[in-house]
Amino acid sequence: MTDDNRLRHLIIVGGGTAGWMTAAALARFLVDGFTKITVVESDAIGTVGVGESTIPQMRIFNRMLALDEDEFVRRTQATFKLAIEFVNWRKLGDVYYHPFGPYGIDFEGVSFHAYWLRLSAMGQAAHLDEYSLQALASRQSKFMRPINAGNSPLSTISYAFHFDAYLYARFLRDFAEKRGVQRKEGKIVDVGLRGEDGFIESVVLESGERLEADFFIDCSGFRGLLIEQTLKTGFEDWSNWLLNDRAVTVPCADGGARNAVTRATARPAGWQWRIPLQHRIGNGYVYSSAHISDDEAASTLIASLDGEPLADPWMLKFKAGRRRKTWHKNCCAIGLSAGFMEPLESQSIHLIQVGISRLMTLFPDRRHAQSEVDRYNRVMQYEYERIRDFLVLHYNTTERSDTSYWDYCRTMRVPDELADKIAIFKSHGRVFRENEELFNDTSWFAVMIGQGLWPDAYDPMATVMDPQDLRTRLDSIRATIANSVARMSTHHDFIRQNCAADPVKFRRKAGAH
Amino acid sequence: MSIGAPLRNVVILGGGTAGWMLAAALSKVFNAKGAVNVTLVESEEIGRVGVGEATIPPITAFNALLGIDEDEFLRETRGSIKLAIEFVDWTRLGHTYFHPFGQFGFDIEAIKFHQFWRKLDLMGRTPGIEAYCLAAVASQLGRFERPPPDPRSPLSALKYAFHFDAALYARYLRRFAEKRGVRRIEGKVADAVQRSDGFIEALVLEDGRRVEGEFFVDCSGFRGLLIEQKLKVGFVDWSHWLPCDRAVATQCESAGASITPFTRATARKAGWQWRIPLQHRIGTGHVFSSAHMSDDEAAATLLANLDGPALVDPWILRFKAGRRKKFWDKNVVALGLAGGFLEPLESTSIHLIQAGITRLLALFPDTAFNPVEAEEYNRLMTSQYERIRDFLILHYYATERNDTEFWNQCRTMSIPDTLRAKIDLFRARGRLFRYEDELFADANWIAVLIGQNFVPEGYDPLVDAVDINAVAQKFERIRDVFERTAAGMPTHRMFLNRAAASGGRP
Repeated sequence: MTDDNRLRHLIIVGGGTAGWMTAAALARFLVDGFTKITVVESDAIGTVGVGESTIPQMRIFNRMLALDEDEFVRRTQATFKLAIEFVNWRKLGDVYYHPFGPYGIDFEGVSFHAYWLRLSAMGQAAHLDEYSLQALASRQSKFMRPINAGNSPLSTISYAFHFDAYLYARFLRDFAEKRGVQRKEGKIVDVGLRGEDGFIESVVLESGERLEADFFIDCSGFRGLLIEQTLKTGFEDWSNWLLNDRAVTVPCADGGARNAVTRATARPAGWQWRIPLQHRIGNGYVYSSAHISDDEAASTLIASLDGEPLADPWMLKFKAGRRRKTWHKNCCAIGLSAGFMEPLESQSIHLIQVGISRLMTLFPDRRHAQSEVDRYNRVMQYEYERIRDFLVLHYNTTERSDTSYWDYCRTMRVPDELADKIAIFKSHGRVFRENEELFNDTSWFAVMIGQGLWPDAYDPMATVMDPQDLRTRLDSIRATIANSVARMSTHHDFIRQNCAADPVKFRRKAGAH
Repeated sequence: MSIGAPLRNVVILGGGTAGWMLAAALSKVFNAKGAVNVTLVESEEIGRVGVGEATIPPITAFNALLGIDEDEFLRETRGSIKLAIEFVDWTRLGHTYFHPFGQFGFDIEAIKFHQFWRKLDLMGRTPGIEAYCLAAVASQLGRFERPPPDPRSPLSALKYAFHFDAALYARYLRRFAEKRGVRRIEGKVADAVQRSDGFIEALVLEDGRRVEGEFFVDCSGFRGLLIEQKLKVGFVDWSHWLPCDRAVATQCESAGASITPFTRATARKAGWQWRIPLQHRIGTGHVFSSAHMSDDEAAATLLANLDGPALVDPWILRFKAGRRKKFWDKNVVALGLAGGFLEPLESTSIHLIQAGITRLLALFPDTAFNPVEAEEYNRLMTSQYERIRDFLILHYYATERNDTEFWNQCRTMSIPDTLRAKIDLFRARGRLFRYEDELFADANWIAVLIGQNFVPEGYDPLVDAVDINAVAQKFERIRDVFERTAAGMPTHRMFLNRAAASGGRP
């Protein structure tokens, strides 16, 4: 009975990172050959994404595909990532880390954060970084995968990757095609709708070929070929909170030491990323066109590279916000077609991954149950909004007053949910993770403290412990972390010994890859 | 900004289960320094609600927080083990199902177990889903064994809770708390003194004594002496969804030596009857809607359905389903029945106390009483109550019964949107989602939805990608392992005798 309703054909429109991640994941699970999967992409359309930075959840995706991690690192020129280093965000000259993995350890039912705040109030705490394995290792350019070392922090090192997004899409394309996914080269010039209900019936290629399917996944990027241009689901604009609307990017030659960190440096009207890969460094300046000209942005970027530029700077335009519906009728948008937020916390790949995993848990059949579509839209909206709040936090909590851009950010009215979170933190340094919110209390704590948002008081529960005992316990945590980091290899050595990619010869050329 | 000093004096009003659970928890947490003085005011003259009390597995976390030895706890409270609730006559007259603790089977290829179960069920190749939950299998056999820590043992999946005598439990916690410095004041509260901003300053006892404090926890039960009578926060009425508003309760003798390791909830004409087995007797009560049945008829129904002779005369309780608009207002937190009431159909009363305590500890105030923290507490507790409310409503709504006006009303009522969304998703293809912080997990919803015959029409399409014959073999192995594991456990009575005989303090 239910077999009759299974999808017979599913088309993915667009073959960038989102398209091939989706194709690979579906190919991994739809193994009985019943549902045909086709990716339509055109070599004539460029893909966005140069050096891509990720968060630890990426490893879940790789594991789901049963990828060999060393092979993945080699084939995508990847490096490892333990933290984001934020430079000039709180004020000019200031640096803090947002590390993966917790600070210290909770004890006696009270959070480490509370104890650290109390010891800080007594003037006896060390810098927060010294209680985080990832932050301390980042400072010292160290890296190692977790080892089996009992309850040592070395057993639970949490990490992510930097990689070349173009190579990653290629890698996943191999994976998907080997498992039966069809790739169709061609530009889409028309979309056929079913008369009675407006469901998508087919896409028509430049060649005139018409491809029919039961379900369509829109991975066409910003423009949203199906979800917006065809189904007109609408866009919710967040640019009053996230002003940046352009980015200029350029890869450069490696300028020396390669830390296992992404660096995000605040600039007069935006910020600049630095993503180290094995063969080069990815750089980009994300800025607000209302506050700075394209030329000025490009020259700021070029002037601050670690090495020689390997291509001409390349410009992207966008607007922060999300589609009002990411799944509508028989079309689901994944990746930039679903929404855009600047990659300040390296969440772009993660949002693709979440879109895929939520789609799999609600995988449709030809009845297209509305209750499932509604559920998908609700959870994706929540996911986007909470990440938005976390990004807005970085801007709003600055002390900078050196440009009109930062004056706006510092004084803007933030979303209510964020205002609540900040108020609760200001009161006693508490953070509550809501629902399945991506960024956990460690992340919020790292950025709030890093940006200089100090609570008025610490959690009264932390007062119970004797001050001398408290000092002793925090000292011993710090010593354990220092000893652990001393046992780690350098990031450079780790890659060389385990997963070095083939060297690449660069030819200077214009535009993307 | 408001920077407060640490609290020095916490006053708990009321010494029922809620009051003494909180006193015990605070005395344990602040024990180290005596940093906070905890005073509990109660009167021997005021009766307590709650006779035989049934709980759910998170209670073991509360016991662990206090560091309580489980055997001692069972001895002191004349308690027994609970593995499930048996629901009788809910789906239709003559129908029975278990809502067991713990999971059904194991997920396969990251796809939920019950999705495979449904496919095999449609093919007529599997018994009911209860055969794949160890707690249900052991319930049927009347057996129990404490799960070992070794995760490789099938027994380690067993989840359990307790039945106990609530009065003995309160007494037990009282000894625990008093030993750790909690001060108990005997006396009836006549009034409370408020500052000009409405904050409570002191309680006034009938004999004129004043009990001053900085922070007050209202555990005064239904009437909400501080939260409602003084602060007038208001009540959100849910009786249009949960029409039962009275209970008649009693205790009776057990019929034989064996003790069922589960609570029984039997649907009646205008409500339902609980049966909670303790070591020495059975607690039982009939929850009913006074709009549909008289007190006399309710009591007669109860007395006609006892295991053995009644030990006390039945007594009546009145209530209304709903919650306070605020659980925390100014310097008062309402805990237990003072915070809200939901009938004990899924044994959530003690759990709601516990949830209030853990959230209060996570947001413990200082003298500044920053309102953002009270708001967060209210937000968290509101969602706890509402999600449990939805789960209870499901039991009434998902019925085929049409033998009385009460059941016709329940079957056809309009339900909350949050519940509607859950039911629609499940009925289409067995999909379930847990809301924020929700107490009941997928397995609980599956047990009741399937138990009450809200079976999904289809199943997850990803299921078809897996070889169903291999799945059927796995299913057979799971059933076989659970049957043999359960048969190897001691009977529930033997287990309790062993716990009673194990050493420890008298």
